[in-house]
Amino acid sequence: MTAAASTTATKPARRGWAFLAPTILPGFGTAFGFTLAYLCLIVLIPLGHMALRAADVGWDRFWAITLAPRVLHAFYVSFGCALAAALINAVFGLVVAWVLVRYRFPGRRIIDAMVDLPFALPTSVAGIALTAIYAPNGWIGALAKAAGFKIAFTPLGIVIALVFVGMPFIVRTVEPVLQDLDAEVEEAAASLGATRWQTFTKVLLPTILPALITGVALAFARGVGEYGSVIFIAGNIPAVSEIVPLLIVARLEQYDYAGATVIATAMMGVSFLMLLGINFLQRWTRSRHAR
Amino acid sequence: MAIEIRNVEKTFGAFTALGGVSLDVRSGELLALLGPSGSGKTTLLRIIAGLDHADAGEVSFDGQDTRDRAARDRKVGFVFQHYALFRHMTVFDNVAFGLRVKKKAERPAEMDIRRRVDQLLTMVQLSHLASRYPSQLSGGQRQRVALARALAIEPKVLLLDEPFGALDAKVRKDLRKWLRHLHDDMHITSIFVTHDQEEALELADRVVVMNHGQIIQVGTPAEVYDHPADSFVFDFLGGVNRLNGVIEAGVARLDGKAVRVDGAVGADGPAVIYVRPHQVELGVAPADGVPDGKWSARVSSLHAAGPVARLELDLAGRALEAQLSRDRLSDLALEVGSWCTVDFRHARVFPAKS
Repeated sequence: MTAAASTTATKPARRGWAFLAPTILPGFGTAFGFTLAYLCLIVLIPLGHMALRAADVGWDRFWAITLAPRVLHAFYVSFGCALAAALINAVFGLVVAWVLVRYRFPGRRIIDAMVDLPFALPTSVAGIALTAIYAPNGWIGALAKAAGFKIAFTPLGIVIALVFVGMPFIVRTVEPVLQDLDAEVEEAAASLGATRWQTFTKVLLPTILPALITGVALAFARGVGEYGSVIFIAGNIPAVSEIVPLLIVARLEQYDYAGATVIATAMMGVSFLMLLGINFLQRWTRSRHAR
Repeated sequence: MAIEIRNVEKTFGAFTALGGVSLDVRSGELLALLGPSGSGKTTLLRIIAGLDHADAGEVSFDGQDTRDRAARDRKVGFVFQHYALFRHMTVFDNVAFGLRVKKKAERPAEMDIRRRVDQLLTMVQLSHLASRYPSQLSGGQRQRVALARALAIEPKVLLLDEPFGALDAKVRKDLRKWLRHLHDDMHITSIFVTHDQEEALELADRVVVMNHGQIIQVGTPAEVYDHPADSFVFDFLGGVNRLNGVIEAGVARLDGKAVRVDGAVGADGPAVIYVRPHQVELGVAPADGVPDGKWSARVSSLHAAGPVARLELDLAGRALEAQLSRDRLSDLALEVGSWCTVDFRHARVFPAKS
């Protein structure tokens, strides 16, 4: 009884001030202050200032600009393509990670290095390279043309560019989890009578799901923000293959600073909501799969 | 279920893991595969389970060849050394896994699955932890979950790979006893792999001693311990003194004195005399020299904690370990530096390997 009372009495106090408990590395005050100042200077103040500027135009104009058909379509293309690319990468990035972790074959190190190329390349290089191949007069573009559809200068082209830039995110987040996964676990499932498909869906996938969602979130965020590789392959046809970042640049070039700021603020809002949603999804899967 | 293993061979690159192994496992027995690491014991176990495939030879269950049966069709319960529990599932779901992945026609109703899993968890004394995740359990508890999970599919054979290898000494002893009781209740043909001779001798009905991909000896723990087939088995089954001597005209000699040995003596030439520490007989050194047929040695160290005293002796420059009861030790009044006579109750002699 006394023991229970004392633990309940000390617990909240301890938990509340846990971050002030002495740690091995001192300097919480300095480090925390630096973190705050840094975040303010780099992230909070610029974004807040932008939002204030956007508010200058007033609600009515804000909505009028944001809900214009061309802008709405650009939002649709930006987020739709980024989501599609992230989901495609979820499947193929997983396969690549699987091959890299599970098999030993000549040239593995080269493929491993190739995965990181989209990280390192300036995205405009990727844009030019992809456009050359997928344009109607390029290798694959010509094949697609013969089959009756276009890849470059359509949303499909944007998806391909975003798949390219997003792949390393999936591979590199899933890889360590796969490495950590014992082959014995699969053997255990097999010896218990599970088919290969059951082993994959019931044992492997749930284990890597949290990492996979993190990878998809990163690839999606990257896709939404991508500019360089997309503008080459997209063709930037208004209401067909125009993405939001490009629209913002276009407004700036027309000296329409208010319009650019409003669209940028709307973009920020949507991105923030999406990240929030993804975070909740992650928390949910983590809690379901406890550690 | 009886298992017949015939001339099974397995190589990994240049390494021969199994070089033509044949073995009959009797229905309902608890069999230990004992050997040092690299002796092929785990490979043999995995081949029986269908997790590895033999390069040659065959394994049959009750006379039926298993070559074309994948691991999942063999109805073999396999307990892995590191448990291989599904870490995203609770203890309950881990145990239920084997039942839930059955084909729809064979799958029990969810109610029956629940009842069966509850039963198994009670049996392994873990029903209070059913909703925990593996990471929240101790090693011994994880091992019992792994066992319950393997038993859930009502296997005809239970295979355990170093089942107690990763546990500390106390838990290991308890689990060992518990597994023996469990086997006595259920009578599933069980094979476990171990490199711990004490575990094999204490737990198994029969022990298979392996080395370098070969089966060296098969027998009950008493047979294997008392009548080791060769010097390797003698050596592997526990503490042993090796004394260099010779065989002359069919008699083993140590420092010129004849040694009484069990079993065959072998051809003349250099030989190694094997004697276990508890079979070294010590006596009070007589004041007037050493009596015929015995050796004399000097006590170089003495450990007398517990019921048994362990002595290190210096026998003409050779280190010799002896074990005797505390009572016997006080009768002899030995201490470090004192002299005593040495005789061997049982010894074996094997030709020295060049």
